[in-house]
Amino acid sequence: MQAKNAHSASFRDPSGYIFVENGDVKRTINPIYFKQYKALTESGFYKNLFKNEVLIRHEEISKSEKEIIIKAEKIPFITYPYEWSFNMYKEAALLTLRLQKYSLENGFSLKDASAFNVTFHKGKAVFIDTLSFDFYTENSPWRAYKQFITHFFGPMLLAHYHGAQQLKLLASFIDGIPVKQISSMLPAKTKLSPLLYSNIHLLAKLEDRHNEDYKGEAKVASLSKKGQLNIIKSLYDYIKKLELKEKSEWGNYYDKTNYTNKAFDEKSLIINQWVGEVNPNTLIDVGGNDGTFVRKLQDDVELALVSDIDNNAVDFNFKTMRLNKETSMLPFVLDVLSPSPAIGLNNQERDSFLDRIKVFAPDITFALAVIHHISLSGNVPFQRSAEFFSGFSKYLVIEFPKRNDSWVQRLLNSKADFKDYFDFYNFDNFIEAYSEVFEIIEQKAIKDSERVLLLLKHKNLNT
Amino acid sequence: MHFLYFDPGLGAMIIQAIIAAVAGVVLFSKNLMYKIKMFFGMAKPQEEDVFDDIDIKDSEIENDSSGKS
Repeated sequence: MQAKNAHSASFRDPSGYIFVENGDVKRTINPIYFKQYKALTESGFYKNLFKNEVLIRHEEISKSEKEIIIKAEKIPFITYPYEWSFNMYKEAALLTLRLQKYSLENGFSLKDASAFNVTFHKGKAVFIDTLSFDFYTENSPWRAYKQFITHFFGPMLLAHYHGAQQLKLLASFIDGIPVKQISSMLPAKTKLSPLLYSNIHLLAKLEDRHNEDYKGEAKVASLSKKGQLNIIKSLYDYIKKLELKEKSEWGNYYDKTNYTNKAFDEKSLIINQWVGEVNPNTLIDVGGNDGTFVRKLQDDVELALVSDIDNNAVDFNFKTMRLNKETSMLPFVLDVLSPSPAIGLNNQERDSFLDRIKVFAPDITFALAVIHHISLSGNVPFQRSAEFFSGFSKYLVIEFPKRNDSWVQRLLNSKADFKDYFDFYNFDNFIEAYSEVFEIIEQKAIKDSERVLLLLKHKNLNT
Repeated sequence: MHFLYFDPGLGAMIIQAIIAAVAGVVLFSKNLMYKIKMFFGMAKPQEEDVFDDIDIKDSEIENDSSGKS
């Protein structure tokens, strides 16, 4: 059934599959989905979603009795739900509900509501599963309702009550967090909320009861369109108001660092100068906090990935981006000490961070004020962090805080008795390790600080 | 019938009628409260937020470049 080189994540839906040809993302549509595709195209449904920038654009490139092939707009870097900040997750959830409402109003319905059907492109959430729309059958319930709860609503509620780390759970539950688990993890008081009781706790109970119905003897459920719209509207209103309880650890990071304004400006000046020389189209800022330094760049880049370990910093960046309507920034959560793994069937459904970043191949990498965290908090030898950066960086702008830096001192002091184990942390050792894979193009000490900025070039990666 | 390539959960299909009823009541009462607050001038002004409205507009203006990839 699947000819060509079907993408390894594209096998669940028999309507068609994705394949990559000469770098283009294409989709084969099987005859089983011809009717839907025709209706969606001819009614202007697809076209209107394109205009509203909520569905990834595609164009038809060939058509036969056996298959239709469409070519989709390419997304340079795909982020997964477990890499989104809280408000990114929220936008993706709201987008899915908006699409279902619009579908219903036009005689269609989303047949699945997987969080992996959404990603971020040009500054906002976009739906990428073109074949997810099916005909709506009058008075039928929403088939993807449970999936919406396990992929979106559940994780967001858990994040609300237990912190943003909960959003990473989807990396372990590729098809959503089991309803029973969501129900058991939520505080008892949520049972008093009619909306949470019905959507989570009652759902968990009923799922349990009907688990044993192997013969499918239960009567076929029915639900009016008005009823379904009520569910969607109520979930939309609830999710839109949902916030995180925790305050950011890094949110106002720049207010409490040891940078004088002068040093801060100088750092930005040096970075700008080097970026001007390298002239990159794409970049990744590892540990980029809220995107401050990328925003200070004078030259425009096509796409800047800004990652940070702290969900709140990423969230702050995302909100800033949305308010400024910036389209060339893509924030996401990344823990350098444990980047997203490859998951799913054959470990091939969702690619690891390293695989994706290698394909993206950024022209330049920023690692500003992260090396001391990696080395001291993570106990990572310089050789190993150099190995990490060298996997994808043609050019690397790295900031090295020396031993006398107050942050370094703080990290060292927290080691207490083991402080002596970290004698390796000094500039000479750093240079020695990084020189093995990188060529040092330039280094500049930042005045008024204990920090050095370096511009490195990979010895072997093609530039 | 349509293809069902993942398990929608039988319980989840049946329960939607109940959830819809609850949702109807919640929406109705929220709306009512809002109107009462409006009447007494207590309603908070709508905050500016970054999220789009629930409705996707049917735009008829031909200003797009569809087919562009």
